[in-house]
Amino acid sequence: MNARLVSTDIILGIIPIALVIALWQGLVSFGYAPVALLPPPGSVFARLAQQLVNPGFLHDIGATLLRLFAGFGIAVVLGVALGLAAAVSPGVNAVVRPMVRVLAPLPKVALYPAMLLLLGFDHASKITLVTADALFPILLSAYYGASMVEQKLVWSAMAAGTPRSQILFKVVLPAALPSILTGCRIGLVISCIVVFLAEMITSTDGLGHELVAAARTFQTVDMFVPLITISLLGLILNGLLHGLRTYLLRGFPEV
Amino acid sequence: MNASQFGRRISPLLACIGLLCVWQAGALALKTDSFPTALEAIRAIPSILGDHESLLNILDSLRRMAIGFGLAALVSIPLGLMMGRIRAVASLCNPLLMIVYPVPKAALMPVIMLWLGVGDVSKTLVIFLGVSIPIIYHSFQGAKAVEEKMVWSGAAMGLSGFQRMFRIVLPAALPEILAGCRTGLVLALITMVTSEMIARQNGAGNILFNALDMAQYDTVFAMIIVIGALGIIFDAAFEKLRRALVRWSEPRFDMPLSFS
Repeated sequence: MNARLVSTDIILGIIPIALVIALWQGLVSFGYAPVALLPPPGSVFARLAQQLVNPGFLHDIGATLLRLFAGFGIAVVLGVALGLAAAVSPGVNAVVRPMVRVLAPLPKVALYPAMLLLLGFDHASKITLVTADALFPILLSAYYGASMVEQKLVWSAMAAGTPRSQILFKVVLPAALPSILTGCRIGLVISCIVVFLAEMITSTDGLGHELVAAARTFQTVDMFVPLITISLLGLILNGLLHGLRTYLLRGFPEV
Repeated sequence: MNASQFGRRISPLLACIGLLCVWQAGALALKTDSFPTALEAIRAIPSILGDHESLLNILDSLRRMAIGFGLAALVSIPLGLMMGRIRAVASLCNPLLMIVYPVPKAALMPVIMLWLGVGDVSKTLVIFLGVSIPIIYHSFQGAKAVEEKMVWSGAAMGLSGFQRMFRIVLPAALPEILAGCRTGLVLALITMVTSEMIARQNGAGNILFNALDMAQYDTVFAMIIVIGALGIIFDAAFEKLRRALVRWSEPRFDMPLSFS
């Protein structure tokens, strides 16, 4: 892909975003929507800039990020471990597979009341919900990646004298890495969504709580600010993960 | 049916029973008011499903979910296919989708409620928004992976652009599209519950969270079982449909890649 195509892509990509903002501004300035219901984009972004230096708001972002990273981290560790184990050992597979079939299509948000009652209103219940939701895409992609590892790779490692115990870490894990990282990407987006939802349901801090608090007091401008913030956070985290992916997968053929 | 097939069919059931047993044991061990045993929760289910009003509520939710899901499939599949085949459409839509992706769609509920009220329209719209992104994404991937040669031979035999899309790209991308729809289905259920939790008016989510507020814990857990069972049943039914539609394509997974 050459540079010119990339720059046309960027220009084409900006058009719809600019159109959406223009439509938004147009709806307000031509009086189709009252300012109380749809604040103009200028005042929303000004408010966002103002909030980003406000320590209270930064504390909210911190609380959200803490829950997000804790839940996502646990999900990555558990998901990769279970996925690899299920792919490698038939015994684990026989237990994990039916469990996943039952638990994966379950709407996890519906479990949130149970987690609230068991784990309380604090961080623990929210982190558990994030983990429960982010776990399955990671687990499945790790399982899929590890079960697709070419048998020849394993054989040649064994022929070269790699002990059986190390094959998992030296052959299977790196070979499954592209698939695992794809799963992590999906899991990350899910974590963003779920942490926000959990904070909307019950919380005293965090971005989701900001939204609910603003909605209760009819501060429409403040309702848009957390939404834009979570979208930005998602974009930034996605970019970071993409960077990590390019670093980890250097030397892999284009995936 | 041989033994291993039978085992595969029965194993999810065993997993369900196992999970319920763990729950029962955990509840008996903890012995708190707010965590009823599995048996108590199951005993509360008939009183929910037998009650005329709650049954109507659940059906209301399902109706909204079906409309939202159907509309999303109608709009998203053509859009995704076009994104996959026409480069300009892809570069036009991709960045916007990237921005919208991490925003929880149910979080738009309070904003949409201001404009459209708490009724069916805003809830269906939220479900529509939540479902469409995975379907667009999967259709996009599916259409992009269609073998170029098939499209060329179609063009050489005189199919118009529209016909090529409908008769070559759509069937070739169908397995991927259906994978997206499966994800979307679970997502529709999740969005349905969350939207009703935010705009408490009627529906399954309303019963669940009202029971939580009123400390009727056995109803809470019974509703969790009901909603969970709905998720599992829909998923299994859709998997059957998928097998019938794309018998020629080996599934990569017999497990769903569910995500919200």
